[in-house]
Amino acid sequence: MKIRIDDIEVEAEKGQTVLDAARKAGLQIPTLCHGDGLEHYSSCMVCIVKDIRRNSFVPSCSSLCQEDMEIDASGDEVLRLRKKAVTLLLSEHRAECEGQCRVVCPMSYNIPLMNRLLSAGKTDEARELVLAETEGGDLNCFTCKAFCENACRRKKIDAPVSIRNTRIFLYNSSGIEKGVRISSDYHKPVDLKKRFSSRIGQIDETEQREWLKECGTEVKRHREITEIKDAVEEAGSCMRCDCRAADDCRLRELAEHFELKDPKGKFVNSPISKKINIKTGLIFENAKCIKCGLCVRLSGDKKEEPSLCFVNRGFVSVISLPLFDDFDNILPTMTDKCIEICPTGALGHFGNITGK
Amino acid sequence: MKNTKEDIKACNCEGKSLTVEEINSAVESVVKETGTGKNKVILILQEVQKKLNYLPSEALKHICRITDITPGQISGVSTFYSQFRHIPAGRHTIKICAGTACHVKGSQLISEAFKRDLKITEERNSSPDNLFSIEEVACLGCCTLAPVVQIDNKTYGHVKPTQVNEIVNDFLKSQGSRKGHDSKTVKDDFDAEVRIGLGSCCVAGGSKEILSKLSDIREFYELNIKVKPVGCVGVCNQTPLLEIVSPENKSTRYTNVRKDQVEEILLKHIKPRSLNKKLKFTINNIADTFLSDDMLYSPVNLPGEVREQTLNNFLQAQKHLATLNGGMMTPDSYDEYKLLGGFSALRNVLMTGDRSSVISTIKSSGLRGRGGAGFLTGRKWEISSASVSATKYVVCNGDEGDPGAFMDRMLLESFPFRIIEGMLIAGFATGANRGIFYIRAEYPLAVTRIKNALKVCSDKGLTGSNILGSDFSFEIEVFEGAGAFVCGEETALIASLEGKRGTPHLRPPYPAEKGFMGFPTLVNNVETLALVPWIINNGPEAFSSIGTDKSKGTKVFALAGKVAKGGLIEVPMGISVRDIVEKIGCGVAEGRTFKAVQIGGPSGGCIPAEMAGTPVDYEELTRMGAMMGSGGMVVLDNTDCMVDMAKYFLDFTHKQSCGKCTFCRVGTKQMLDILTRLSQGKASLADLDELENLCYEVKDGSLCGLGKTAPNPVVTGLKYFREEYEAHARGICPAKRCRDLVKYLITDKCTGCTKCFQECPVGAIDFRPYEKHEIDQSKCTKCDNCRVVCPESAIELVDVKNEDKN
Repeated sequence: MKIRIDDIEVEAEKGQTVLDAARKAGLQIPTLCHGDGLEHYSSCMVCIVKDIRRNSFVPSCSSLCQEDMEIDASGDEVLRLRKKAVTLLLSEHRAECEGQCRVVCPMSYNIPLMNRLLSAGKTDEARELVLAETEGGDLNCFTCKAFCENACRRKKIDAPVSIRNTRIFLYNSSGIEKGVRISSDYHKPVDLKKRFSSRIGQIDETEQREWLKECGTEVKRHREITEIKDAVEEAGSCMRCDCRAADDCRLRELAEHFELKDPKGKFVNSPISKKINIKTGLIFENAKCIKCGLCVRLSGDKKEEPSLCFVNRGFVSVISLPLFDDFDNILPTMTDKCIEICPTGALGHFGNITGK
Repeated sequence: MKNTKEDIKACNCEGKSLTVEEINSAVESVVKETGTGKNKVILILQEVQKKLNYLPSEALKHICRITDITPGQISGVSTFYSQFRHIPAGRHTIKICAGTACHVKGSQLISEAFKRDLKITEERNSSPDNLFSIEEVACLGCCTLAPVVQIDNKTYGHVKPTQVNEIVNDFLKSQGSRKGHDSKTVKDDFDAEVRIGLGSCCVAGGSKEILSKLSDIREFYELNIKVKPVGCVGVCNQTPLLEIVSPENKSTRYTNVRKDQVEEILLKHIKPRSLNKKLKFTINNIADTFLSDDMLYSPVNLPGEVREQTLNNFLQAQKHLATLNGGMMTPDSYDEYKLLGGFSALRNVLMTGDRSSVISTIKSSGLRGRGGAGFLTGRKWEISSASVSATKYVVCNGDEGDPGAFMDRMLLESFPFRIIEGMLIAGFATGANRGIFYIRAEYPLAVTRIKNALKVCSDKGLTGSNILGSDFSFEIEVFEGAGAFVCGEETALIASLEGKRGTPHLRPPYPAEKGFMGFPTLVNNVETLALVPWIINNGPEAFSSIGTDKSKGTKVFALAGKVAKGGLIEVPMGISVRDIVEKIGCGVAEGRTFKAVQIGGPSGGCIPAEMAGTPVDYEELTRMGAMMGSGGMVVLDNTDCMVDMAKYFLDFTHKQSCGKCTFCRVGTKQMLDILTRLSQGKASLADLDELENLCYEVKDGSLCGLGKTAPNPVVTGLKYFREEYEAHARGICPAKRCRDLVKYLITDKCTGCTKCFQECPVGAIDFRPYEKHEIDQSKCTKCDNCRVVCPESAIELVDVKNEDKN
């Protein structure tokens, strides 16, 4: 059969979705909750198109092609709705794309990454990163008022991570001469001002403590950093506030695509929690989840593969572990696949230094 | 009801924790009955909860162990439906109706009063003695008695916030003294037939007590009468209702009958036959006259005609098709239904054996689905009959979740056989062989009546194989819904039947092609099916001659709210909203003005009084921004605030949304957020624009009917009552309804009677006999108690904002 999408005639088969027909014809329609080969779900509504004849808006991922269909996939109304869908998703996305320490840093130094390299024992890589970030110039930290430490989430719990001293120690102990450029695989220059950044909104004290799960419980703290051991130990108290999916988040990409600003105020549908599966290294951060259900559909709700599931109804309906299961039993074999399919940073590998 | 030790233990209401063995054996005994299929999950959870009082996680675990149900499924389902609870409840559950009619009559204050007086907190939803817990339910379907509170199965209507203790004590007292009343075998020649309504509203009004009194009196005086329980008459606002029919078929109706009046009413009509009883009657009568002044207030002393007339006005403008013979038939009686022409339609269609002619009859009658959207029923049947499959289903959608609607409940309770007949005809016409009644668990009486009726039908060969000797075979079962408004949507309803969370999906594929378990499934509303036998019996022309161009026949409405006479009404399509409110409902209370009618519940809108000329018609109502919906009609007067109404509905939809699509899940939340700020005087005019934009975005962007219609209450509000919204943006609630924008003041009318002091639950009023009282604003919780009890109407509501200026 033939259908028209944006005035282009497209050949479609019976039972094919509008999304598939459009993609086959080379037209781009954004999606979030759609997974190739998985059952259609249609929750995000980012792929919305207009069925012109019926004068109604439908998600292209689950509407089936019908003879003589006329689809508007890029008109103003359609784009406005897509934009709104992303805005609404962001309004309950209580998450930060970047660590606040990095956001306030005048040089946008990647502090969380430095800390992770350190606490993983990759001290040389950490030093290289710090040096590479100066790009041959001076380390800004010498003269800076350490806004990073003021913004550090750890400050609200006990004391901020001693970022400034750590950086200065790494820099000074490198023995490198001024003006020499050092390269690092970890250094990726970025203009954060040009990137979309989600904010977290208000969080309470109990929620605050969830971040402690990201670092060892018995960490030795050092205000002054006099040897590398101090730096490594202190870095262990960093709570990893930056998102694992900062460079791999479809929600962030779409927000940038539509040039959105993060909505003021965030709705709270459940308290922030971080769940870690010690067997597979899966970490689930519920507040980042957009309830697309991709992980639920992918893992298929089988007895032998205990998986995440939807609970509750209405605004508070969220993805969660089953009511009485232990998170350590969740997704024994599907962890990697579920992390891969997650469009945001809600699912990730706990120990990863970069990426999900 | 006896509360033996075993009962208490089993229901775990003494705070004693159940042992794992107890839990496991309860689960096992349930599963033995239900089977282990994944689709049985809702039934299993319902039964386990019945046994254990709640769903301990040990029980959920064990269910997963011994059935095909997975932990993910059981977690999803048991948290989706409102019926299931994961923490123990008190021994008795106080259900506070939060339906529309109850809301406009102050159910929120009632709920607060119960929580306060019984010391029930959010964290621990039961009273310290574990005796009571509170549950706010979407609608108990007794809208005419609003506000309504139900404790276990005892219903209290017209509740005031000051009555908590009275009600609780009455309930506890009734626990000890409940007794059964068996119907006696009756002789053939009676001096009269006494009909007593036994619909939920009547029962709530106390008709069961009246019934037991009737039997007592009959026995005492040896009266030769036939006591006949009948279904709903629709005059739900004046329950209980007693009708006495003489052998000459002369009928007299009494409304609002009290227990102590029964004897008098009966003896007025029926004289005891034996001599010594006559004497007893006379003496008793004399004694009564002397000893009690009750006679003064007795309805018998009013001229019978006056009562009859108000009733007649109520009934006159109506037309009874779906509710044919209402108030005349015993709901449970197959014989009566048959005598009055029941099952003749089924017999006829089976005799002709022509499926397509049945479909064309329904098609040409112009009948449209009564569930809300108004799809042509005949067309739906046609599509369904075209699907080829060895197994085909007909589902009767009785998941009436609209707050403020109770038509389906009443039809199921009063006319079970008619609806079964309708389903059988639909099954025959579409070539289906299986039927399912999907009925809300909140309607226990409806479930019982349908189950009983199905049993009779099966005995009479009206269901099963080769019905009435034809080659048509059809099996019917009942499924109890577990409390989710969204399951009224047909694809969600099917998901729920399959044991899943009730989330809708995009159509096509339509259920008629791929429905329950993948089989073609026809989903029809209760009222739609109830109309089918009438159409077959009277012909399509008779039906299509009633109504308007595109909306044919009659529509049943639940008329409630600020109307003098509410109840269940069946009116011809095309009747104006004003006629319903003024002629049938007899207008609003004296001193109030009729402001608007809310039609269609959370999916509908408000039609302002100026436009009450609008006819009841699918297209006309939609054009006005409202919607036929399933037929809830709540009348509002000048004390009702449109922002508050919209907030109420959005609060409902954002909780009832299945949570699947972004616009419905988050969009309705954002709308509610703005409305809440408006009602607190914290929103600006710019917020109104944002709200209006959101309305259209949620309408366009939502996946199913729930989200697509959820903004309607706001859309119509902004369209017809914009100045009221704008006033809120300035911090003023013109109807003085939004509590954050008003305060209570005692005027000079105060005589110092101290009643307000006695009723104030927070000590905001000091004891000053014979002096003008004052309210301490810092303590006042605006519970409204003082205003309700003040005999001088000395307590007024004033704007907070204006006061500040002074």
